[in-house]
Amino acid sequence: MSGAVSVAITKRLPGFTLDVSWRAEQSVLGLFGPSGAGKTLTLQCLAGLIRPDSGRIVVDERVFFDAAANVDLSPQQRRIGYVFQGYALFPHLTVVKNIAFGLRGHPRGDRARRTAQVIERLGLGGLERRYPRELSGGQRQRVALGRALAIDPALLLLDEPLSALDAPLRRTLRDELREILSGWRIPAVVVTHDFTEAYRLADRIVVYENGRVIQSAPRAELLWQPASEAVARIMGLSNVLRGTVVKAMPDRIQILWRGHTLEAVNSPTRSYLPPPESPIAFFIRPEYVRLIRKDRGAPDTTHHMNLMRGRIVGEADFGTVWSLRLRLDTPGTAAQGDFDLEVEVPHLVYEILDIERDRHWEFSIHRGSIHVLPT
Amino acid sequence: MDSFPIWLSLRVALSATALTLLTGVPTAWLLARKRFSGRNLLEAVVVLPLVLPPTVLGYYLLLVIGYRGPVGRGLAAMGLELAFTPGAAVLAAWIGSIALVIKSAQAGFETVDGQLEQAARTLGRSEWSVFWSVTLPLAWRAVLAGTVLAFCRALGEFGITLMVAGNIPGRTQTLPLAIYDRVQANQMGEANALALVAVGIVVVLLFGLSRLARLRY
Repeated sequence: MSGAVSVAITKRLPGFTLDVSWRAEQSVLGLFGPSGAGKTLTLQCLAGLIRPDSGRIVVDERVFFDAAANVDLSPQQRRIGYVFQGYALFPHLTVVKNIAFGLRGHPRGDRARRTAQVIERLGLGGLERRYPRELSGGQRQRVALGRALAIDPALLLLDEPLSALDAPLRRTLRDELREILSGWRIPAVVVTHDFTEAYRLADRIVVYENGRVIQSAPRAELLWQPASEAVARIMGLSNVLRGTVVKAMPDRIQILWRGHTLEAVNSPTRSYLPPPESPIAFFIRPEYVRLIRKDRGAPDTTHHMNLMRGRIVGEADFGTVWSLRLRLDTPGTAAQGDFDLEVEVPHLVYEILDIERDRHWEFSIHRGSIHVLPT
Repeated sequence: MDSFPIWLSLRVALSATALTLLTGVPTAWLLARKRFSGRNLLEAVVVLPLVLPPTVLGYYLLLVIGYRGPVGRGLAAMGLELAFTPGAAVLAAWIGSIALVIKSAQAGFETVDGQLEQAARTLGRSEWSVFWSVTLPLAWRAVLAGTVLAFCRALGEFGITLMVAGNIPGRTQTLPLAIYDRVQANQMGEANALALVAVGIVVVLLFGLSRLARLRY
């Protein structure tokens, strides 16, 4: 699989400017960001449906667009498989005709063989003569994929491929889509505003905000090291907090927050050394906050670092976990409205510790679980 | 009963409808899908035949195709004549009915999701192919409805026809003109028979249209 994609384009619209640049070598790239950030516009530029004002688009060593050299291939010449948001299946054509739609001009036998192959690989057998309105959401998604894959595209574009589906179906189809994408071994760009989706589907994620790229990283790096507070907020991370630097060292960093001095690990790959007293953003994953059992004696500070005390002021049951809202005992304004920290506790722990009745807890956070966000 | 006006009217209305489809559908597509300078002007001009008095339209048309008009003189130089011929009746019916096809087809094209056309383009189809395999199949009902209305309108065209084709029995006297003539001559039996034929044709067409409209694509 080759299929390197490089995009560097600008496009001015009334009230919005897209100015992005990214490269992808990996098989599946995610464009992630809030709605209106320019993700779909980027796909349309890639497909040749919208002409950028300036820049260059190269896919698989073919120049699709180059403003300086006056190159602008038509959508027909680009051979890109585009799976539209809502799928855009042709309502007047059956499944088989939808899938064969892009194969006009191929010899008849070729066309039939290719269509049959796509139908079989996507498990659409038996639905050939149905119309799109007679299909379920998941089947429509597969027909849209099949129609795009049938033309053997150089690149596959998927615009919010799961947004048309109900929540329970989304998760199943997300995994199914992941398998299809890796099975066909076609480079793909997936647009989504849902971080879990981006993380499950893509190998590398480009984060968009307001027409710009604010981070581009392998998915694991993005998950553990968001480049900034803005990225962390777009990712929907809980407990994105702000404190003051006490002391920054290459391997560790001390932060004053809500009257506590927290100790955090500094990023091993890009040490961040802000001067003392400067403001700093960080986040704490709610599932990594440890409540301390009261039946095991006093906590020891070498084992339990970043020790704090607080009261549960709110809780919500998410089925397998409880989400608790803790307010610290230290005086002052709470960090997130009426609470300081969100903590996630599995159901079993919730029951064993009898959290339902016992609302006052001591807890600790390992320094490796406090992630510093460079500004 | 003289059946000449019936056959003439059917021939004129069919020719005018063919002309209307050839010119009206592309115009409707342009108005629905393209942004160009002069678009608003074209949109206004297109509805003029619906709102102007037919005699006014006929008067101007006569100025153009009459033997002293620009088109009339050009045709005369080639030894042809248009004014007061069945051809002029076709032209009159075309002008009287084209707005119905344009408006109906334009509305039909506008309801076709532009994303479907985009999808067809990414699948390698040319603009021509996109129109024939996506746009038109999804808007055919509106185009057909406009066409049937235009045919009925062409069949009943009176004012413009009278001005540019005249009322020459056996040559340019169409069905509506013949009915008018018979009433003027107090031949009420003949007028009645011709009127019933006109009603019959229109009723059959509209009934057929309502049946077709129930089909899906």
